[in-house]
Amino acid sequence: MTSRRCCWRRPIAELGLLGALLCSSAAAPAQAPRAAQAASIAVPLGLPPLPYPAHNPPTAAKIELGRKLFFDRRLSFNGTMSCAMCHVPEQGFTSNELRTPVGNEGASVRRNAPTLLDVAYHPRLFHDGRDGALETQVWGPLLAPDEMANPSIGHVLDHLRALPDYAGRFEAAFAGRSASADTVGEALASFERTLLSGDSRFDRYRYAGAPDALSAEEKLGYAVFTGKGRCATCHLIGERSALFSDFRYHNTGIGWLRDQPARQVEIELAPGVSAPMNAATLRSIGAPPRSDLGRFEITRDPADRWAFKTPMLRDVARTAPYMHDGSLPTLEAVVEFYDRGGGGAPEQSPLIAPLGLSAAERAALVAFLRALDGRNRIDGNLQCEGNNRPSPDAHRNWVRGQTAGQCDGFEG
Amino acid sequence: MKKLPTPTALATSMLLALFATTPVAADETCNSPYLSTLIKGQEDFVHVWTLGVKGMGDESDKLVTVDVNPKSKDYGKVVHTLSVGGRGEAHHGGFTDDRRYLWAGRLDDNKIFVFDIGSNPGKPRLVRTIVDFADRTGFVGPHTFYALPGRMLVQGLSNTQDHGGRTGMAVYNNKGEFVAKYDMPTGAHNGVAADGYGYDIGINPQKNALLTSSFTGWNNYMMDFGKLVQDAEAMKRFGNTMVMWNLKAMKPEKVMSVPGSPLEIRWSLKAGDNWAITATALTSKLVLVKQDAAGEWQARAVADVGDPSTIPLPVDISITADAKGLWVNTFMDGKARYFDLTNPEAPVQTYEKVIGRQVNMVSQSWDGKRVYFTSSLLGNWDKRGADDEQFLKLYHWDGKALTEQFAIDFYKLNLGRAHHMKFSARTDTRASVEDAPRVASMRQ
Repeated sequence: MTSRRCCWRRPIAELGLLGALLCSSAAAPAQAPRAAQAASIAVPLGLPPLPYPAHNPPTAAKIELGRKLFFDRRLSFNGTMSCAMCHVPEQGFTSNELRTPVGNEGASVRRNAPTLLDVAYHPRLFHDGRDGALETQVWGPLLAPDEMANPSIGHVLDHLRALPDYAGRFEAAFAGRSASADTVGEALASFERTLLSGDSRFDRYRYAGAPDALSAEEKLGYAVFTGKGRCATCHLIGERSALFSDFRYHNTGIGWLRDQPARQVEIELAPGVSAPMNAATLRSIGAPPRSDLGRFEITRDPADRWAFKTPMLRDVARTAPYMHDGSLPTLEAVVEFYDRGGGGAPEQSPLIAPLGLSAAERAALVAFLRALDGRNRIDGNLQCEGNNRPSPDAHRNWVRGQTAGQCDGFEG
Repeated sequence: MKKLPTPTALATSMLLALFATTPVAADETCNSPYLSTLIKGQEDFVHVWTLGVKGMGDESDKLVTVDVNPKSKDYGKVVHTLSVGGRGEAHHGGFTDDRRYLWAGRLDDNKIFVFDIGSNPGKPRLVRTIVDFADRTGFVGPHTFYALPGRMLVQGLSNTQDHGGRTGMAVYNNKGEFVAKYDMPTGAHNGVAADGYGYDIGINPQKNALLTSSFTGWNNYMMDFGKLVQDAEAMKRFGNTMVMWNLKAMKPEKVMSVPGSPLEIRWSLKAGDNWAITATALTSKLVLVKQDAAGEWQARAVADVGDPSTIPLPVDISITADAKGLWVNTFMDGKARYFDLTNPEAPVQTYEKVIGRQVNMVSQSWDGKRVYFTSSLLGNWDKRGADDEQFLKLYHWDGKALTEQFAIDFYKLNLGRAHHMKFSARTDTRASVEDAPRVASMRQ
């Protein structure tokens, strides 16, 4: 399987010299081979140049093929799951309705489905960073027994080759290369790199010189974020762009909390109606939770026990629930968790300590986090050069897999 | 390409079919009123739609046929099994209007299997597998199979977009060809928020009434039950409504607030009655749906099932043919509870018995003397360890107590999880409509 990243940080703008632009039919040579047409992906305000590996420059054909694969439930062993079933576009490319996903035949997935917005910028993938490229990462869920459960790479490829609606699609997108472990990964990765979110009110305030873009409360929250709250220690903000992550691994105590014995829980049975269920009953109706040691499972370094990757925070208000296990349902709960000093694990990161925030500061911090909602996620990233803007229905059509016609020159 | 009828055309054809069909009723009381044949007296077989279990036997879902005629040498024994291949969350089934074919669905992979029961009830044959339910409709989880004249109405539970609870109904013809789809209503309806969820279907032809209930989506019904109840966000995704539809027009007419996931729907089969009853799984209530003096359908809770604060989890219910009694199973404590329904406005529990460590489905013979129970709720909701009993049990009911006749251990026989039951009879013992005037009168 290919994993070449020698030019990983090469900005996509350089690619514009290689061929026709994605959506500019006027600019594209009429007879240019589809596979040679480079995509022009607009990077929103606040994001750095889009990285991509040298061996897999984005093209319209690859992106469109990746989109088709992303939404295709036939890619799971029993035909029930697509990538989009856990990374739901309308739920911030995560699932707002579940702490952790449900996989093949109802299997319990250990960790929260991370949002795919801005996933292009992650140097390593998964909560434990076990994969270093989107091109190879995609095979993890495809093959995991508790996710899409395919028995082998070859099984997936045989299946794709037998599907009539994929006939010629790989060859057209990859200059004659057929469906393979590499091309499946490259197509999906190309699509996922288009899932950009930026140009938030924070970005306009911080990077576009718009002092009124944030309210007074949000500005206070920004100050707490970078000061007393110490959030920016791990959720980094740069001079010209912000990814809100150091992409390192920290033990916040949340993983340790998960390993504590189950207690009685209060269950909401209907709006306004709840009842308790004791631990013994819980054990009688459910499998015991699987342990999760985080980054340690990859490095075997005791220092990495219960450590998980710092998530980015863009669109964080739209990507609940939070933490690697989805155990915190709201931003308020997250702020409270950190304000009290994390989970209290014996070997918790020294970066996590009680903050002593006031109620006003906690509220301001939440308000600031809500100001990180991007303005041009989903459809903006597919915008075209010049005047070829996505149609008003582009979002819905795009979600439904009907990209054709959303802007000139973007037919599959 | 064959042109499909529009929903309006479908409704018109259904209307014609409804009035062209002689009113009839089912043998066991929960079946569609459009079944054309009845079982007179003793049923010969019970078919159990059974979930395969990993590591057990062939690990596949199967239709298990049990001989239940006490005069048979095989009484109380499994006489036939028919594996359909793989596991897909086998759940419920329903007969076609001619009662020859049993449609049985899987909630996970959305396959619908059509078994020929009529040719030889003791040896069902798989004659068709319908695989286009999700692609045709965008719905997931074919749950209830409700016979219409020449057609099958299928209620979905979820959808292909997010595996949440928004869903709808589909109509197929008896050849297995897709005909039409109907979304469950969403948005505000006279102050009630329609959630778009679905579960069961119950039709009262005389009232032109189609009643639906609401459960939850794939994410929840496939999830480990212990994990689910600890996920507060997921627990918010249960249905809280019932919908009364205009049957002929297939249009929702009223959305009623019924909190706590109303499940099985049972119409009173008594002539002139204008009510149906259901149980809410999470809030443990019996809910009566009845027309008020103005003819408006109203839903209201009329009794608790057990102690709701202990979450007994009412599951299947079975109404007696005279509408004077109701069996209600509660999964968590494994009990069958009998309610006196003489006054449906105020049901009273008069009897209870522990059937097993868990119990889900209940089916009674038309005369109410034989009551069958199975154990499985959902593959990932069933209990763990020793509490995970899987069985088919037959009891006799004398009006005062249940007396066990036989019990079949589905795990001991390497069969799997026993779920939905349907009765059948050899052709020489099946009655015609004319042979059952009592039944026919209830539908006029």
